[in-house]
Amino acid sequence: MTVEDVTRTDSGRALMLANEAVVRAALEADVKVVACYPGSPTSEILDTFSEVLPHFGDYRMQIAANEKVALETVAGASMAGLRSLTSMKSVGMNVASDALFSIAYTGVNAGCVCIVADDPHAHSSQSEQDGRHFAEPSYTPMIEPSTAQESYEMTKWAFEISSKYKTIVMIRTTTRVNHQRGLVKLGDLKRTPFKKNKWSEVKGQYFTVGAIARELKAKLLKKIDDIRPEFEQSKFNILEEGQGRIGVITGGVSYLHSKEAMRNLGVSLPTLKIGTVYPLPEKKIAAFLKRLDTVIVVEELTPYLELRVTAIAKDANPKIRIIGKRSGDFSEMLEYNVPIVEKALAKFLKKPLSLDYDAVTKRADQLKSILLERNPIFCPGCPHRGTLWAIRQALSRLRIRDKIVYNNDIGCYSMAMLAPNNFSDSMLSMGSSVGLSAGMEMALDDKVIAMVGDSTLYHAALPGIVNLIHHNANVTLFVLDNSITAMTGQQYNPNSPLDAGEQPARKIIMEKMFEALGSDSITVIDPYHTRDCVKPIMDALQAKGFSVVISRRECALYGDHLRRESEVPIVRSVNDKTTCRSIYNCVKEFYCPAITVDESDSKMRIQTDLCDGCLECRQVCPTSAPAHVDGTTEGPAHMSSGTPG
Amino acid sequence: MKDTYDIMFCGVGGQGLMLLSAILGKAAVDSGLEVMTGEQHGLSQRHGSIYVHFRVGKPISPLIPYGKADLVIAMEATEALRYVEYLRDDGVVIMSKRIMPPPSETGAVALDKEKKRKYVTVDQIVERLNAVTHKIVALDSLELATKAGNPLTENSVLVGAACACPDFPIPTEAVRKALLSLVPRKTVEANSAAFDLGRQAGGTCLG
Ligand SMILES: Cc1ncc(C[n+]2csc(CCOP(=O)(O)OP(=O)(O)O)c2C)c(N)n1
Ligand code: SF4
Ligand code: SF4
Repeated sequence: MTVEDVTRTDSGRALMLANEAVVRAALEADVKVVACYPGSPTSEILDTFSEVLPHFGDYRMQIAANEKVALETVAGASMAGLRSLTSMKSVGMNVASDALFSIAYTGVNAGCVCIVADDPHAHSSQSEQDGRHFAEPSYTPMIEPSTAQESYEMTKWAFEISSKYKTIVMIRTTTRVNHQRGLVKLGDLKRTPFKKNKWSEVKGQYFTVGAIARELKAKLLKKIDDIRPEFEQSKFNILEEGQGRIGVITGGVSYLHSKEAMRNLGVSLPTLKIGTVYPLPEKKIAAFLKRLDTVIVVEELTPYLELRVTAIAKDANPKIRIIGKRSGDFSEMLEYNVPIVEKALAKFLKKPLSLDYDAVTKRADQLKSILLERNPIFCPGCPHRGTLWAIRQALSRLRIRDKIVYNNDIGCYSMAMLAPNNFSDSMLSMGSSVGLSAGMEMALDDKVIAMVGDSTLYHAALPGIVNLIHHNANVTLFVLDNSITAMTGQQYNPNSPLDAGEQPARKIIMEKMFEALGSDSITVIDPYHTRDCVKPIMDALQAKGFSVVISRRECALYGDHLRRESEVPIVRSVNDKTTCRSIYNCVKEFYCPAITVDESDSKMRIQTDLCDGCLECRQVCPTSAPAHVDGTTEGPAHMSSGTPG
Repeated sequence: MKDTYDIMFCGVGGQGLMLLSAILGKAAVDSGLEVMTGEQHGLSQRHGSIYVHFRVGKPISPLIPYGKADLVIAMEATEALRYVEYLRDDGVVIMSKRIMPPPSETGAVALDKEKKRKYVTVDQIVERLNAVTHKIVALDSLELATKAGNPLTENSVLVGAACACPDFPIPTEAVRKALLSLVPRKTVEANSAAFDLGRQAGGTCLG
């Protein structure tokens, strides 16, 4: 539905996810090159661009191997005179930032926009990183929207600023902005045909080192000074008048929580909403502080605004009282909501709360005591479940379960850290399992194991793998090849024969790659033949040197998608209760959410509508009780195209 | 006076919550109402607990404050209780009677030697919810959907029931129109029937 709103050519109002609004705005700004690597909460930007690519056909798009490559790709396109955009999650900028700092020095040419999305509460991230801190040290302008409408407007403005000052512009969002749906007023959509340039006509100099770097640095400082007054005047720094000498400075989604909290309390404090995170509208802030006795700074994560407001206050109004994180009134932890802000304001203003929120949540906690947590879990039919079961079996048969270190990595398989696997001595950032393994292998007597998915393999694990092989490390690497970048919603990666918009791409053949790198052994297993996986895993674990086990089977969700496309029915499974002897391997050792227990006879029962028919549960059942509803006992065939072996 | 009507959708990853929210969103916008949602995408789409904050009227924040949701629509019964901190006193709960136990609970039930441990039941959930409200519509949505001609139309049953709430702000016909425009063509008839069955069932419960 909303894709139609992205592609329609007329103006008008549409209910859009902020991520979709970004796409629409970029299309209106005539973006020509898009490159992204997925990551929550930005993945829908990639997905939407990818979905509408065949419709437009007048921009080029790649799903990049990682965020650094994506940023360099769009910077390259911009240097070559085409408007470009990338988006990444907070931690993606850690990977990309090496290039970012240099790109700031050299500048770019055509409009180049980078969305960086933080994730307070770490809903789907490994840390609660505050990406605002990338702007100032790299001298890259950064702006921050609060709503879907602003995400749309700011994306268009970012292209203008970027073109005018020949700098990348970053748009900083947080999960609650990216995943907010709201009404957006669209403009007309007028695209131009895609056309390549000639380097001689667009060329510039894009290198920085030593004396040149120093020269560029001076120019960069001047550039930021030029941008400052423009940001100072920006309509996205909004002063809302109110009563009294207590004011609020806020931005992003915290602005929305603050406004609603004030409405609930029946107050309207003068409020300055900051839209330009860097450079800040310092004069506006100073003027605002001058008219106040107290300023309350409402922002999630680090006291980014608060510290800068404090510095500005030193000259503007040294006596002002600053209420924020450093005063102990707000936390640097988690994300905010209306109750959190309302409570802090109410306490300070000595006003009664609109509702006793603490009583509500306390009662709720008591009422919920009968529920067990519903944690994320491998989908029914997930190939990772079978792989991990087989690894557990192999380790216990070799009697080395307590003589290993298991370095986990980032992807759906991260859930190996939960029961029943509890495989996770470490899990840091994409590709870290192999880097850590190098150090552990030197320092430990134990068997060192690393595990990556196919997307992680090509994203950041490769240098670590080269390093392990080069240094003759004794490490076993499991590559969980499920054909797709699953965790972020099934995007293609270098392991796919396809790219954004279903364009053909060249699939990297990982066996050949590992062979060429000099791996000591390479074994391919199919986790749906779960029992047969145990022996090859044992062999690989015992082999000397660098052994790779590639466990190959499509992500179940992706497999379902392929089956739907080629109209192959999903045959679901039932448990044959005459064969079942309530041994419960399927329960204790497998944790498939389709599996329940029939309270009347204590036998396992499969919730057929949830079942994916993988028959992995049959493989782990000593009596092979589960079978397909049609009586067949073979798991489904591989569906993905272009998979060798 | 509350100027916003707040709906909390909840369910289990994979149940089609986003479609439900898209349907009501379209219906609200087509009726000239302001809408804002706070959705959950990403990590926990895989059989984890999921939700959408859906706000009609004059919302400012994308998140419903605790204790202020007028309506909870739960596609799975335990999820109605899981988000009970959002429900206002005397708010309405429309929930499917379907329970999808998490594997940890199945483990506890299976491995209890004395066989005393039982799954949480719909009755237990209703009893707990009664501490906050008695306006609870617990529907056998699968049975009604099957009766409508397609077991996959459970969502339409729940949306239909929502339209039966006395203060539900979106006109019923707008919801039906949005619903039928967003479901697959082949299923329009079944979805329409499911919507009506839901509406009747909701009407009976809520009087
Ligand atoms: C630097 C960085 N970029 C993006 C992400 C978001 N992210 C989390 S898991 C994942 C992909 C995992 O794919 P893969 O390794 O193939 O494992 P799968 O989920 O398919 O099992 C991504 C991109 C991240 N955590 N860190
Ligand atoms: S999305 Fe795919 S890889 Fe991830 S848990 Fe589900 S089936 Fe497994
Ligand atoms: S066949 Fe067994 S393991 Fe596979 S999805 Fe169905 S119940 Fe789960």
